[in-house]
Amino acid sequence: MASMELASFPILSTILLSTIVALLVIMLIPEDRPKLVKQVSLGFAALGVVLSLLVYVSYDVDKGGLQFVERFLWVQSIGIYWFTAVDGINAPMLILTAVVLFTGVLTMWELETRVKEFFALMYLLVAGVYGVFMSMDLFWIFVWYDVSLFPMYPLIAIWGGTRKEYGAMKLTLYLLAGSALILPGILYVWAVGGGHTFDLFELQRMGLPAHVQRIAFIMLYLGFGILAGVWPFHTWSPVGHVAAPTAVSMIHAGVLMKLGAYGILRVGMTLCPEGLGYWADLMALLATIGIVYGAFVGLAQTDLKYVIGYSSVSHMGIVGLGLATMTVDGINGAVFQMFSHGVMTALFFSAVGYIYDRTHTKMIPELGGLSNTMPVASAFFIIAAFCGVGVPCMSSFWAELLVFISAVKTYPVRGVLAVISLVVSALFMLRVVQKTFYGPRNERWEHIPDVPLALATPRIILVGILVFFGLFPRLILDVIQSAVVPFVSSL
Amino acid sequence: MMKWVLFSPELYYVVMAAVFFFMSLERQAEPRKLYKWAVILSGVGVLATVLGARLQGTLFFDAYRIDLFSQVFKILIAIGTFWVMLVCSELKGVDERRHAEFYFLMTICTLAMMMLVSAVELLTIYITLELSSYSLFLLVPMRKHDGEYAETGIKYFMIGATASAMMLFGLSYLYGVTHTTYVAEVVKALPQVFNQPAAVLGLVLALAGFLFKQALFPFHIWAPDVYQGSTNQVAAYIATGSKMAAAAMVIRFIGFGNADSGYFVQLLMVLSVLSMTFGNLVAIIQKDIKRLLAYSSIAHAGYMLIGILTMTEQGYASAIYYALAYLIMNFACFMVIIKVADDGHNLQIKELAGLHKRSPLLAMTLMLGLFGLAGIPPTVGFTGKFLVFAAALKKGYLILVIIGMVNATLSLYYYLIVIKAAYLLKPVREYLPVRVDGVTRSLSIALVVLMICVGIFPDRFMQLTEAAAAALLM
Repeated sequence: MASMELASFPILSTILLSTIVALLVIMLIPEDRPKLVKQVSLGFAALGVVLSLLVYVSYDVDKGGLQFVERFLWVQSIGIYWFTAVDGINAPMLILTAVVLFTGVLTMWELETRVKEFFALMYLLVAGVYGVFMSMDLFWIFVWYDVSLFPMYPLIAIWGGTRKEYGAMKLTLYLLAGSALILPGILYVWAVGGGHTFDLFELQRMGLPAHVQRIAFIMLYLGFGILAGVWPFHTWSPVGHVAAPTAVSMIHAGVLMKLGAYGILRVGMTLCPEGLGYWADLMALLATIGIVYGAFVGLAQTDLKYVIGYSSVSHMGIVGLGLATMTVDGINGAVFQMFSHGVMTALFFSAVGYIYDRTHTKMIPELGGLSNTMPVASAFFIIAAFCGVGVPCMSSFWAELLVFISAVKTYPVRGVLAVISLVVSALFMLRVVQKTFYGPRNERWEHIPDVPLALATPRIILVGILVFFGLFPRLILDVIQSAVVPFVSSL
Repeated sequence: MMKWVLFSPELYYVVMAAVFFFMSLERQAEPRKLYKWAVILSGVGVLATVLGARLQGTLFFDAYRIDLFSQVFKILIAIGTFWVMLVCSELKGVDERRHAEFYFLMTICTLAMMMLVSAVELLTIYITLELSSYSLFLLVPMRKHDGEYAETGIKYFMIGATASAMMLFGLSYLYGVTHTTYVAEVVKALPQVFNQPAAVLGLVLALAGFLFKQALFPFHIWAPDVYQGSTNQVAAYIATGSKMAAAAMVIRFIGFGNADSGYFVQLLMVLSVLSMTFGNLVAIIQKDIKRLLAYSSIAHAGYMLIGILTMTEQGYASAIYYALAYLIMNFACFMVIIKVADDGHNLQIKELAGLHKRSPLLAMTLMLGLFGLAGIPPTVGFTGKFLVFAAALKKGYLILVIIGMVNATLSLYYYLIVIKAAYLLKPVREYLPVRVDGVTRSLSIALVVLMICVGIFPDRFMQLTEAAAAALLM
């Protein structure tokens, strides 16, 4: 009954609108009240968590399909619709966004420079992310996609760290070069479909000709793939992550990169199943190279953030490999991996952020023995590292398991290679953990206090989510599956 | 008698020009007073054009056509003029004795452009085009220290005169092969004579005159020097009001032709690609912000041409929408330049350093304007590009659209450099906070709201542009 009432309430638009209202409210707060800005940000972030959880919980898994649909005409002549809906694939993504934003705001609680602008831009970014995840109209998907990208430039260039201006410029140009492929791809599909609707599912039902699908799919795949960190277009990602401030790294690696993978799945694979079949081999190949390459390059890094950056490339490769299998298990695993990698990377960056704020270094050789002085802070990183290597009881264990099982079936050689590289990634993660947190006590960091409770809260939440879904994976897999099964059968 | 109602917006500007003409006869007119008059009169001018929006008919033996297309562009030109007048409060770039003449010439130029967008006969087109050009030839060198900038004036005049000569030559050929000066009839006759080299030469040369106005590659060489050499206000006027007239003319001329013939379209495609690529590549190395915007305007002429060369109603509508978008975004950038350089000097990009502290509102206006020019949603510039590219893809020009998008990414680089200066760079020396008066503040807010709202809610405006495009083809 409750869900019936909810269905008529435009809850998705409310989530989206709340971020824009937050943005406006923050802009109206006077410059000299940074505390208030943070409180308002946290309030709206909490609202987002509550609303997206509400959507998730009241999503009817048995019924499946699109729910909470809001659809009306926006621009008549070329057929743009305001079309937002939730299915099993984007429901977890909404929670991911909300949680990462919430924990990100908490993580940046100590920010002092240009506080108002920081949170305003962060909300703009998140508005874009929510928008992409909930929109089912190609025009809006593209609009929100770009909205989520361009705040990255000021966010990194103003508040960033290492080589921030270079990192910001490289990231922005790479990602917008990606959208330079997506927009023609979208418009191409629209034009071939008759030029009177941008509704994703209407276009899907039309069934585009095979040669169109092949051209459109490669454009959409490469365009979104740049954001998903697909090898060899990943080079912006580690540089950008390293340059960005903590919360931005969290949102960026945690959520934004998922937009890329989500875009491939939602737009590319939905519209161009035949195109997918044609290019799946290439997708699997690039994904496998990404997995192996990320793991090996990560092995050679001395900067903590670079390590995480390359591990992200590797993990996003797993998502790509899962998608390329075109099987229920593979795509299930890929979506689950998107979710758990998002939470895990947020935890990673959040943990490193604390260490960096206190020690002012993130170079592994300079650190060492940290677990003696700050056991709790170290624990967060170590947990994230365990999750990264896929230790059972962590959510990414299930995700990776599903992907690898189906990958080995579909692409035996590449699947096995990917599994083997997991060992390499375990090696590099453990090496980092050992060198940074264990070993002899480091006199330099003796005086540093451990994480206070207020700052530990966001990290505890993230750890909680990782373990929770690690123990009860069905709670999320059932939802994902409700969308993936019909999807795969339509391929 | 009723016929003169059709001409009423233009008549209004004739009266307005007369007012400034008599003011210029005064020995020394008070600049503040002139400014007030200019704002009020040009504001009423916008009203006059809006009231005349639904007029329809022809005048002067069918040489002058009033339809929704021409009226929409008249509104755009009037708005552009009004905005430029609004930012003339600190007209320090022009000698005080010449302020009245400055407003007089601006009005004359506006009048000429309004007539231009309605002209559908070759000689009328030529005369109105020259009237607007000659006003600009005088406005461009009208600057304090005119010695330094005389070069610009002469350059502009020489190139402009050459373009006019070429155009006139082309028109004479067109007349020669078709025996008429009415554009509609020329166009009807063209397909039969298109195998004659004279016809092609005539068409290309005539078009060159229009493309010169629009600063499309390879007719762009005047743009950077003129933008840099003229006062900021005149540059703003050339970049907004004058661009509208040029766009209208190109659309009208090609629209009439509707000659969807292979190699003509291919020629336009090549011009469009060259214009975009050249403009964007050269803009990257600019230090002077007006020069940068000049090169970006060359690129934008290329984007707009993509919509036009589709030769479809949707394409023309998208080009009109793009013109509207360009007017808003480009003016937003120029307004910031004029306000920051309030003593009228040429603003360098590095002088924008720390603008977000000196005037947050102007910094935001500039940022949105530049993001709009780069085609980032949710601004009006994005929607414009989206519509233009959509129209092109409907005709199947996939490669052209990809080139266009790659160019948009290229352009983002230099727009970001400017934004970086405004938001990130520490000023090398202490700059005073920018004085933002009430007019500027409300204008900034209006521009910001326009840039976002027209971008997100394009439905209304698209209906208008589609109706205008339909009127064009009628």
